[in-house]
Amino acid sequence: MKKKIEKLYCLKPFLGDKGWIEDKNIIEPYLLEERGLFRGSSSLLLRPKNSKEVSQILSICNQNNIKVVPQGGRTGLCGGTIPSESGEEILISMERMNVIRHISCENFTITVEAGCILSNIQEESEKNNLLFPLSLAAEGSCTIGGNLSTNAGGINVLRYGMARDLVLGLEVVLANGEILNNLGSLRKDNRGYNLKHLFVGSEGTLGIITAAVLKLFPFPNNVETALLAVSSPEDAIKLLGLARSASADLLNAFELISRIGMEMVLRHMPGTKEPLEKQYKWYVLLEFSSSAKNNLREQMENLYVSASEKNLVLDGIIAESTQQRKGLWLLRDGLSEAQKPEGGSIKHDVSVPIDCVSIFIEKATKAVEQHIPRSRVVAFGHLGDGNIHFNVSQPINADTNDFLGKWNEINEIVFDIAQNLKGSFSAEHGIGKLKREELKKYNSSIEVNLMHSIKKSFDPNNILNPGKVL
Amino acid sequence: MKILVAVKRVIDYNVKIRINSERTAVETNNVKMSMNPFDEIAVEEAVRLKESGKVDEILVVSIGQRKVQETMRTAFAMGADRGIHISYEGETEPLMVAKILKKIVDNENIDLVIMGKQAIDDDSNQTGQMLAGILSWPQGTFISKLEVVDKNASVTREIDGGLETLKLNLPCVITTDLRLNEPRYASLPNIMKAKRKEIVEMSMAELGVEYTNRLKIIKVEEPPTRSEGRKLEDVTELINILRDEVGVL
Ligand SMILES: Cc1cc2nc3c(=O)[nH]c(=O)nc-3n(C[C@H](O)[C@H](O)[C@H](O)COP(=O)(O)OP(=O)(O)OC[C@H]3O[C@@H](n4cnc5c(N)ncnc54)[C@H](O)[C@@H]3O)c2cc1C
Repeated sequence: MKKKIEKLYCLKPFLGDKGWIEDKNIIEPYLLEERGLFRGSSSLLLRPKNSKEVSQILSICNQNNIKVVPQGGRTGLCGGTIPSESGEEILISMERMNVIRHISCENFTITVEAGCILSNIQEESEKNNLLFPLSLAAEGSCTIGGNLSTNAGGINVLRYGMARDLVLGLEVVLANGEILNNLGSLRKDNRGYNLKHLFVGSEGTLGIITAAVLKLFPFPNNVETALLAVSSPEDAIKLLGLARSASADLLNAFELISRIGMEMVLRHMPGTKEPLEKQYKWYVLLEFSSSAKNNLREQMENLYVSASEKNLVLDGIIAESTQQRKGLWLLRDGLSEAQKPEGGSIKHDVSVPIDCVSIFIEKATKAVEQHIPRSRVVAFGHLGDGNIHFNVSQPINADTNDFLGKWNEINEIVFDIAQNLKGSFSAEHGIGKLKREELKKYNSSIEVNLMHSIKKSFDPNNILNPGKVL
Repeated sequence: MKILVAVKRVIDYNVKIRINSERTAVETNNVKMSMNPFDEIAVEEAVRLKESGKVDEILVVSIGQRKVQETMRTAFAMGADRGIHISYEGETEPLMVAKILKKIVDNENIDLVIMGKQAIDDDSNQTGQMLAGILSWPQGTFISKLEVVDKNASVTREIDGGLETLKLNLPCVITTDLRLNEPRYASLPNIMKAKRKEIVEMSMAELGVEYTNRLKIIKVEEPPTRSEGRKLEDVTELINILRDEVGVL
């Protein structure tokens, strides 16, 4: 490896102290997967400051068969940023490419470098009374390059789509060092194959994204948030249709919360309180938003009235202030955190067609409870886009290691049920190192073969993030 | 027993405040408005007293444009019974509000007034005290605990260095501090019922209060921005900077 690194020495003076790092102590955190699932090895971390440096690095790596692992904010949940244990891969962190290059209020676009932190892009847009809608719990540390490379979803997908739907142009450095400048801001452009979409969601295996042009929207200053109690996921889905019509499709969030999940949040998250007078089996947190002075409040009240006439809604509240809105969102956002003190948790990030969500939850819950009696299913998440975080907490007082030892069995049970309903075993979080076997198992061989041939033509020497995705 | 709760519609606590271009006022156009948080606490306390069976009726009063009725409806949804809306287009002043409230207290035979210790828009923190003054009633301000027993109210106040407990004779005026309670969410069924509760709208003249504004706003300005802090390596560096840059050593 030392020999290989020497090939890159010519770049050391350009990259400087901040860009060329061999200090083990600094590199250490870049090798760890947060939950301890993986730990890699590498002796060189490069932190380029611009696309040209990325290009020079890849050009040398490609000629000398040096494997590289691109990194953004390292919040990915599938180990995509963790190098192999061989020590034969170098790390390229994009964190120093963090300039917001341009914002255009006429185009409704923002042009950013790949290392920009998501929340900085949101804030810069908001300063111009514009919205960049991508929003997820890791937004304070993930980068837009990582978001695009994983095609991140988050809480606004229902209204604005996933990262893929928010990108108009990309600048990408290819495996051989060539810079593909596709930084256009066109909304219509049918010149042949749409190459940028191949890089979106490719988890660093086809090229390194260095900059992007993103779509912006008018900032929705007016928001109405409600928490409604329903008796089943089935009723929640009926309510979804009503809510979309009642708001003229100004619905931007529709999140399902189960009573078990609610109880965990109330137990463990400070600042939360039982929202309704009585307890209910299921809740939906929904939100209407608009940039204009629409009568959202009235629409929300009307939705409640018509849904309760149909017995779809049992009780509910509307946030009367931003403070209350935060309180309601805490009940949803606290769900992941609140499961930790409850012991081991086997997690699934699945999606199924929206009209199958309730069958999926019913079947998967039954199957899991049969396999591990007294295990506690915590199903929650983005019901509005068919993405359910189907998590299984260990039985109370059970042995955590025993329980987690059943990770693969439970995965298989849940993924099989999703697959039978034409669903996906990975809705948001991608494949990385973690789900490569599933990709082979659940995707058709035609799909997998096509993916291999795409990889080959973009990266013939397999230097870009080897051992990930495929 | 009859309680009066005063509520003010203010810019939402979480909204970032902007000053208008003439620098005469804070921008309220297309800005989210909510009930003053201290008033929310006052409503909650009144509703709890009612739920404990000690109170027959909660009267809500608000002064301002038509929109304040939305804020009054929030109080109804939490459990208040009826409202009086004093229509007024201009800026309210503490003494003006106190005079209006006094008149209503007299007309309605109120036994207890609960109000926020201040409104978060102008932070005056005067109205409750003025009202107690012109009514010649006892006052318990900034309270974090309230107990009503027969003709007495025992209140705990947050003061410098500790807590002070006072026993007041009813009728009296009470102003709320943040720790008094945690207001409930208004439920949708109650929000819908609240639409049917009665609001009587009248002008100051109709109420029989005369008042000419005596406060004049000369200028509204942003507070000076603080210069960015910086991290120093050690005490030696701090001493050097204090000596060479700041010049205090
Ligand atoms: C608390 C928490 C909540 C989350 N919530 C969500 C959620 O709601 N929805 C969701 O979709 N995800 C979610 N995630 C997952 C994760 O945040 C996202 O996948 C995020 O988009 C990753 O961004 P990152 O900058 O951290 O990328 P990293 O983790 O650094 O990288 C992710 C992958 O992209 C590659 N990569 C990174 N930057 C580049 C680049 N510039 N060019 C090419 N390849 C690159 C890496 O090699 C890796 O394979 C969450 C994660 C956490 C920790």
